[in-house]
Amino acid sequence: MTKTVALAATVGLASFAGTAAFAEYPEQPIEMIVAYSAGGGTDTAARTLAPFIEKYLGDGASISVINRPGAGGEIGFTELSQAEPDGYTIGFINTPNILTIPISRDTRYTMEDIQAVANVVYDPGAFNVLPDADFTTLEALVAHAKENPGEVTYGTSGVGGDDHLAALQFSRAAGIEMRHVPFSGAADVRAAALGGHIDMAVLNISEAIELVEQGELVSLGQMGEERWDGAPDVPTFKEQGFDVVMGSDRGFGAPAGIPQEALDALQQAIAQTVEDPEFLDAAAKQMLPLNYRDSAEFQAYLEHLGANLQEIWNETPWVE
Amino acid sequence: MEIFSAILHAAPGLLDLGVIVGMIVGTAVGIAVGALPGLSATMGIAVLIPLTFTMEPLVALGMIAGIYNGSMYGGSIPAILLRIPGTPAGIATVFDGHEMARQGKARLALDISLVSSSLGSAVSAVALLLLAPPLALIALKFSPANYFWLAVFGMTTIAIMLAGNPAKGILSACFGLCLGIVGIDPISGNERFTFGTVEFLSGIHIVVLLTGLYAIPPAIDLMLGRNSIEAGNIDLGEKSTGFRWASLIPTWVRASGIGLVVGLIPALGGNIAALLAWQEERRYSKNKENWGKGEPAGLAAPECANNADTAATLIPALTLGIPGNAVAAVVLGALLVHGLRPGPELFSANADITYGFMLTMLVTSGLMFLIGKLGARAYVNVLRVPRQLLGPIILALTVVGVYAIHNSIFEVALMLCFGLIGFAMERMEIPTAPAVLAVILGPIAEENLRRALLISGDDFSYLLRGPISIVLALLVLGALVSPWLPKLKASFGRTARESEEGQ
Repeated sequence: MTKTVALAATVGLASFAGTAAFAEYPEQPIEMIVAYSAGGGTDTAARTLAPFIEKYLGDGASISVINRPGAGGEIGFTELSQAEPDGYTIGFINTPNILTIPISRDTRYTMEDIQAVANVVYDPGAFNVLPDADFTTLEALVAHAKENPGEVTYGTSGVGGDDHLAALQFSRAAGIEMRHVPFSGAADVRAAALGGHIDMAVLNISEAIELVEQGELVSLGQMGEERWDGAPDVPTFKEQGFDVVMGSDRGFGAPAGIPQEALDALQQAIAQTVEDPEFLDAAAKQMLPLNYRDSAEFQAYLEHLGANLQEIWNETPWVE
Repeated sequence: MEIFSAILHAAPGLLDLGVIVGMIVGTAVGIAVGALPGLSATMGIAVLIPLTFTMEPLVALGMIAGIYNGSMYGGSIPAILLRIPGTPAGIATVFDGHEMARQGKARLALDISLVSSSLGSAVSAVALLLLAPPLALIALKFSPANYFWLAVFGMTTIAIMLAGNPAKGILSACFGLCLGIVGIDPISGNERFTFGTVEFLSGIHIVVLLTGLYAIPPAIDLMLGRNSIEAGNIDLGEKSTGFRWASLIPTWVRASGIGLVVGLIPALGGNIAALLAWQEERRYSKNKENWGKGEPAGLAAPECANNADTAATLIPALTLGIPGNAVAAVVLGALLVHGLRPGPELFSANADITYGFMLTMLVTSGLMFLIGKLGARAYVNVLRVPRQLLGPIILALTVVGVYAIHNSIFEVALMLCFGLIGFAMERMEIPTAPAVLAVILGPIAEENLRRALLISGDDFSYLLRGPISIVLALLVLGALVSPWLPKLKASFGRTARESEEGQ
């Protein structure tokens, strides 16, 4: 708590102290590690953000995106954690992966090695079914699953991903049992659900909304604290009486111990980016649900979420 | 029509300068690669994919389309002039093409080959454009059980039919299956054969394997002085005049049809399409005795068919993610590198790039004609390039390229290891294509088998539910018993021996 206050205080001071002090940073190109392959959702988001951050860092700042995909993000996260903490290597970090990987296996990085810079995207999870499914509300799903224990099949984009964790959390909260069928990406889950091969597709809301709007799928609910602007008609789980909040954040991280001046400059540039109308336009086109958190907030959030995930792992480990 | 509006929407993307340059360079390089005996389309694309990593997807894919189309034609240049097919698909070209050259009609032969190849490619690209999107929608109907059978079918056909010796084909496929297991198991999340390293966690990157198996062995061969040819003084002969091109139209129609159908069937490739077209066309011909003695139609048929096969081969790869042969596997690898996943969404979410890519297949078939026509003399000189230089150039390109994928020296080392394994496999006459296909298809088969069992609650009868599963299972059975059916063996045995290595 004291850490959070201290950070918040420095952030406040920094933004107050004026820009003169940070005019020095950046003096050289900044490398941004993206732990997923070029062309994917995370990469596209990172590459959309980069030019705006360059603009707000000013002084001809340049950010080059470096893709270090592999092992569900572990390779990129490890590289980020081991980089020189000089402010010239930053990274795009994703939850829950960055938190769940060290929980479920031995890794060469821990969350101690990573400093949260700012969060940009929060994409809530969502349950989706075909319009003619046996259930089209969460309540009906619970009733159906209680009648047919272990019969409801749900597809996710992978073991231990946010979709899987969301379903585990929901099953625990509702006291039901469902059958997990992992796929290797959101596209495959959508195809399997549309083809009727699985009962339910657990996807991030941004990955499902287009099909929901076209009437191809019905979304039972989204798992944010509040409804995302892009899906105003889909009720949250909380509204329906299930205390399940899960989704995927995409934000910026840096190696722990980066200079305060760099951290502040980056934070400020990102804060200005998420207000930029041109960026907002690009984000809306890419279906990016935005949720800015500054460094202190994001750091606290990661710690809280990490503790939560550890708890889930202790009760129902997602990898046997 | 939805398809046409998608095509119209994607078309302006091809006017980008980078894409145009990419297609021209790709086609020119493709013809050269095809013209050099020992280098194949698969190898050319395998070397190129990692180098295109930083390019815009459409630039890279346009270049790949150019190489693919160009190399199919390029193979006919040495086939006609020197009686050496540049690629396996050029085997049937030798029959009549070289005869024509010996009769002093080399220039006419090259022209016929060029026109037939361009037409074949164009027909194939149009088929791809029109057939792939509707077929992709059928992919939704494919359940995990169907995918399992389809992947198994792909592996069995390629293992059994591609190798002269089915045992060697199956051995190669098993090697690929083992490699495919490495990494995090996507169904349970457990690590398999990672030896505690991070490098193996996400499995063996398909491009690393492809480059190793396809680019290194020919490079070693070149440096060992194999594949050497005496180009000497090549006489192109007189300019062709008075040839009745219209007489070839029926040949082109039939040969394109054969190429398209063969392209759709897994394990078959341009070489088989060309041989089949030559045989079929001979049956229709009025002057059968002239076949093999410089009959123009005997040159047009295989050239048209081996190019008509190119884009058709990509249809199952783009729609279902199931590559039918080695070159489709390489192109699939290129798509994945650029973030394009096969399936129905390829044609909706990534419509501009996907349709753009299919359009580049069409445009490069035209470019191939222009470049082939203008550069005929230059390409003859390709045959005079010192072999000793080519080997090191290919090696350097592969090392730089593979390093660029993940900036990983580990993967470069891995690629070189696969290169040595590939070289050894070639010496032992074990085909490498089944291994490559198994690396892609093995995990698809495994994951979908387990998904099917998860969905059905471990009920194995689910695997044979529905007509698609039953038909595919019967096809697998048929492929497995085919070596013991003497009749089938007679028809496949010959083409198979000549077609070691697919494309």
